[in-house]
Amino acid sequence: MKRVKVLTKYIFLAGISIVFLFPFAWMFLGAFKSNNEIWQTPYKLLPTHINLSEFIENLKAIKLYGYLLNSFIVGIAGTALILIVSSMFAYGVVFLNNRNMDRIFVIVIVTYMLPGAVTYVPSYVILAHMGLLNTLSGLVFSNLANVFAVFYFRQAFKKTSMDFVEAAKIDGANHRLILRHVILPLNKSAFSSVGLLTFIQLYNSYMWPSIMLTSQDKYLISQGLRQFFIQEGAYGMNWAQVMLASTITTLPILVILFAAQKWLMSAISQDSGIKF
Amino acid sequence: MAIKMKKDTLARIGFTLPFLIPLLLFWIVPLFLAFGISFTDWDYISANIGFVGLDNYKDIFTDSDFLKALFNTFYFAVGTIPPTLLISFGLALLFENQFRGSKLFRSVIFSPWITPTVAVSMVWSWIYEPERGFANHLLGFFGIAPLSWLQDSTTAMLSVIIFTIWKSLGWTFLFYIGALAAVPKSTYEAAEIDGASRSRKLLHITIPLISPTTFFLFVVNLIQSIQVYDQIQIMTQGGPGGSTTTLLYMYYDKSFQNFKMGPANSIAMIILAIIVVLSLISNRISSRFVHYE
Repeated sequence: MKRVKVLTKYIFLAGISIVFLFPFAWMFLGAFKSNNEIWQTPYKLLPTHINLSEFIENLKAIKLYGYLLNSFIVGIAGTALILIVSSMFAYGVVFLNNRNMDRIFVIVIVTYMLPGAVTYVPSYVILAHMGLLNTLSGLVFSNLANVFAVFYFRQAFKKTSMDFVEAAKIDGANHRLILRHVILPLNKSAFSSVGLLTFIQLYNSYMWPSIMLTSQDKYLISQGLRQFFIQEGAYGMNWAQVMLASTITTLPILVILFAAQKWLMSAISQDSGIKF
Repeated sequence: MAIKMKKDTLARIGFTLPFLIPLLLFWIVPLFLAFGISFTDWDYISANIGFVGLDNYKDIFTDSDFLKALFNTFYFAVGTIPPTLLISFGLALLFENQFRGSKLFRSVIFSPWITPTVAVSMVWSWIYEPERGFANHLLGFFGIAPLSWLQDSTTAMLSVIIFTIWKSLGWTFLFYIGALAAVPKSTYEAAEIDGASRSRKLLHITIPLISPTTFFLFVVNLIQSIQVYDQIQIMTQGGPGGSTTTLLYMYYDKSFQNFKMGPANSIAMIILAIIVVLSLISNRISSRFVHYE
């Protein structure tokens, strides 16, 4: 009886997995289909013969590699800076706490509920005045205040005993050294979780970059993919190339997911520790 | 001691400014500016800005396109959130205890959430394609007549909703797993001694105990729904016939496409007001009805 139950559960989960994975499978398969195959009747689920030369031609035709590079630059530089800036701020709130710090933190909590998009017009104008419009550094700068990262670090740091900080102070360490050599090693998992989520968030971002990056050589990958979809993809006539382009866009994230499952999952479920 | 105090004050400034400067420049100041712009007729190009009072708001609330966008946004939220919460909770129940392969299955269900919306929206655009898409192929397999999905104003929003449930459910699902793991085992044991069945335990212990999580997830999902944009921009551009134009899409269209900064920012303020009101209401309700330990 128990075995039947277990078996039913696995069959059910396998069915669910097919539903969740199907669009990805469809995307991968689509990348290997030829356009003839796609428009052929009867309908074909699998590519019948893989035409390697056409596949390589398609790989060359999708000029996404510059966009991919931009996304990695913004993702890596942005993540590094966000980790530094938000861990410093959280350190201040937790270990240098006083009434003013509490007041500042209340403002931060309020902005957490803010829908970012409502500030896009003024943010655009401010970036323009600073001469940072249409630059990757402007994009990174305008993303620097990551409230989620501050919340996450604050939660993690609060669990770190004040004793470590006090001991380091007695040894004559300043706050920068304490953060770097005491707090960071004790909160490695928080740093990797926030780092991963921040990178993914920056890599996937679309609306704000597509507003503030206007020349094509600055585009991030999602923007570039959309551009390709409109131009080369001819609004979806050329599905094989569009699916190949989507695959290339998605692949880095899927690799991260399966390589860093543990960190990512704990990052999200620890989220629930955040209370308003 | 005085020197130490001063040192700490300097550290406070040094440690918070790198975060506070971008927060001020790209969150707080823009918020006030957006509020100000919403009372003007600014077109981004001309230098003279006219103050028009409440005209933008009056125009918007009498504009049938805006009212439709407001309706569409709530249609989207109502269509997305209850199924997301229900399916996530149901699936999370299967993961209450670890079993062989549970981590892999968890990642599979979670995977759409972290993939780029633009890329997977394109995949789904093809799935929804009326002629060669998989969706109609599947319907045909069950003997159901094909639909026009994204190209028909009666089914376009539904198609976007189905996509969004698939895309965003993983986050809610993981949250529920965390919440279920936090329910103390002793509560269940006590109920078992009293001879409670599985469904009674679910109804009388699990659901009430995780209600704070449900509330939190409801509010967060709602705030997310009101800001839906990426998939709309890729799949429908607000069409056909404005049937998928949501508030944020309208904001984008008015501001960065048509440079009507005044009306655009009054829409922004309405989005903001909706979110603030909803958060306040939910806080009220949650403190009164939701079970906290």
